[in-house]
Amino acid sequence: MSFVWLGLPDGTNFVMGTLVSPLGALMLIVVNVVGFLVVLYSNEYMAHEEGLPRYYAELMLFLAAMNGLVLADNYLEFILMWELVGLCSYLLIGFFWKKPSAASAAKKAFIVTRVGDVLFFLGVFILFSSLGHITSAAATTYPGTASTICSSTDPRWSCVGFAFTPPNANSAAPFLSAGSAIQSINFGGSSWLPTLAGLLILGGAAGKSAQFPLHTWLPDAMEGPTTVSALIHAATMVAAGIYLLAITSIFIGFTMTTAMVILAIGAFTSLFAGTMGLASPDIKRVIAYSTVSQLGYMAMAVGASSVLVDLPNSVYANQSGVAMFHLFTHAFFKALLFLSAGSVIHAIGGQQDIFKMGGLRRHLPITSTAMLVGALALSGIPPFAGFFSKDDLIGLTWTAASKAGDPLLYLFFALSVVGIFLTALYIFRLWFLVFSGGAPRDASLLSSSGHGEPSTMGSAAPHADPHAALVSAPSPASPAHGTGPHDPSWIMTAPLLVLSALAMVAGFLPLLPSIHALLPGLSWSVFGECFGSCSATAAGFDQLDAVLGGVSLALAGGGILVAWRVWGDGRVFRIPEGSVLAVPHRILFRKYYFDEVYDAFAVSVVLGVARAADWVDRYVIDGTVRGIEEIFSQVSRSGRRLQSGIVSSYAAWVVVGLLALLLFFVYVVPCLENACHSPFSLGF
Amino acid sequence: MAIPLDGLLSLSGALFALGLFGVLTRRNFILILISVEVIANAAILNFIAFSFYPPSGAVSGISGQSIAVILIGLAATEVAVGLAIVLALNRLRGTLNVAEAIQLKL
Repeated sequence: MSFVWLGLPDGTNFVMGTLVSPLGALMLIVVNVVGFLVVLYSNEYMAHEEGLPRYYAELMLFLAAMNGLVLADNYLEFILMWELVGLCSYLLIGFFWKKPSAASAAKKAFIVTRVGDVLFFLGVFILFSSLGHITSAAATTYPGTASTICSSTDPRWSCVGFAFTPPNANSAAPFLSAGSAIQSINFGGSSWLPTLAGLLILGGAAGKSAQFPLHTWLPDAMEGPTTVSALIHAATMVAAGIYLLAITSIFIGFTMTTAMVILAIGAFTSLFAGTMGLASPDIKRVIAYSTVSQLGYMAMAVGASSVLVDLPNSVYANQSGVAMFHLFTHAFFKALLFLSAGSVIHAIGGQQDIFKMGGLRRHLPITSTAMLVGALALSGIPPFAGFFSKDDLIGLTWTAASKAGDPLLYLFFALSVVGIFLTALYIFRLWFLVFSGGAPRDASLLSSSGHGEPSTMGSAAPHADPHAALVSAPSPASPAHGTGPHDPSWIMTAPLLVLSALAMVAGFLPLLPSIHALLPGLSWSVFGECFGSCSATAAGFDQLDAVLGGVSLALAGGGILVAWRVWGDGRVFRIPEGSVLAVPHRILFRKYYFDEVYDAFAVSVVLGVARAADWVDRYVIDGTVRGIEEIFSQVSRSGRRLQSGIVSSYAAWVVVGLLALLLFFVYVVPCLENACHSPFSLGF
Repeated sequence: MAIPLDGLLSLSGALFALGLFGVLTRRNFILILISVEVIANAAILNFIAFSFYPPSGAVSGISGQSIAVILIGLAATEVAVGLAIVLALNRLRGTLNVAEAIQLKL
């Protein structure tokens, strides 16, 4: 369903429309299920904040825009929605706008993603100008593109759009034609233009999904309410970048170079962000780094799928569904982790430093169990969801590396495998530091229940008794009644339980036979056992799958064990001063000095450009305007003296004008007609 | 004994110059009004002169005379309006000096 939004005289039509694509349908489930649970959870979690109408209005705008983004049927509409979700992200990160750190985090998120957005625009411009030349006949050769849509209206935008044949129950997958669609697009004979377009789109996705080197905004975005972190900065909006890569890989395709860059950036980010998560003391930031890392895995899967498609004489269909599968499971267990963290923060009065927590398992049994489920799913321990989707990712990347035979791909594959170990390590470091042990290391946490900590939580002031909070207006917290921190009411625990259940069962999604028609290349096998459609599997993969599954399981288990040895049972590992670990720890703690480097860059380059622009604006543009203004004011200043109001002088001017006209008509006009009078003749 | 055209035109030019001089130099509203009347009469005299000595090709001299009559009426009207303004100015400002009435309001 679509309509022409803007028709240009040359026949170009910009179309707005809605289309439920298979990938979009999956995203719709994620967005609306997590969105519903988060809004429910907000009812208690945010009950004591000021500005709730603003909070809910922005949250609803976000959900509407996110649904619009998923339902968009062309890039133009996609960009509009993409900007809207970015705006909502900015607004909600800055929800506690009185806190300077929240305000600057919001600005940072907006500006850093803007860098990516500009690249994305440029990429779409290239695609549009290139696709503008193709005929509708050529357009129908795109894999999965509905010929009806392409031929019925102007082909340009409809075919750049994400429209494709509705899934047919009989066909295994609608994308099975081998080879990359990008080769069939006329780029005017240019070989680098499609690569450039792909890289620019990758830039947009990297900005939105916080991939290296545009990852810096996501950890800072944790300044927003935890509910926002769960919905926008874990489950949905940041996944939009991956969604963009997946759909682009299906409908446009990436060239080999672009595909390898995507794979490399994804794999590198997955490890890189994991290391930073290892050093952060903030409960939310650890999870945020984990999000960056997991998004890296998804990007890696899209890259690997495109590498396979681009291989010479490729027999591979697009397998971006693997990335979408991880996106799907990740949305649930990451939202679960965030909401659990929110529950912890809520219970202990806004403290976010995990080194001050500890022993909270006894006080928060439901929360700690829910978070354990999330942590296990994230680490990739079967039967939790993360195992299946991550296993698919690793298998796909291994296939890509081995089929392409490129040593670089093996290297990035190795990075992502090390990332599995790190994932388990940092998330269980978090879990053990928060929940294990006897009592909180900061004893005041036990008695501070019900007292907000504005310096860390904005104006959060969780009540000692959440039930009372629901029925009474915000009132001074009742005095701590000795119960200490405890699990919240059902309004907050119900979303935790639902998400826990989803984190357990979402991994079995590939067992649904119909899902294979929707998600190309989705999980063929687990431990060598084939479930559902395995027809797309290359020979030799099944045997490897068992090995890879075992390796990733062993690595995850090893990570958990190490975390237990170092941080379990209330232990706190402090790096001794001057040890060999101190330097890397400092580097990780300072986030590889990326903020410092970007600040230096901003100070030198951006400020220089800004100064130059300011000079141009001040002296060239304003100078021109002021100059024109000056001319007019001078003229009018001298002209004003004529208007004295004295009638006699007006009369004198009339006479002067009359004489001038007389002279003009007597002497000048005849001269123009080549009949000059002598100066003394009046011409009668 | 007809006055030649040159004489009529010279008289008319002299009247016009006199009137113009009065308009430009006088500050008294009434004197300016009188000077304007002199200018108007210079113009009327022109019409009379050319109705008496019609230029070649002109159909009849009678139209110049009729216009002169209309212009005399017009001049009277003008004086009536002008004197009304003079009265109003005098009543409100207590002066007849045009140099003091330099705003478009009283």
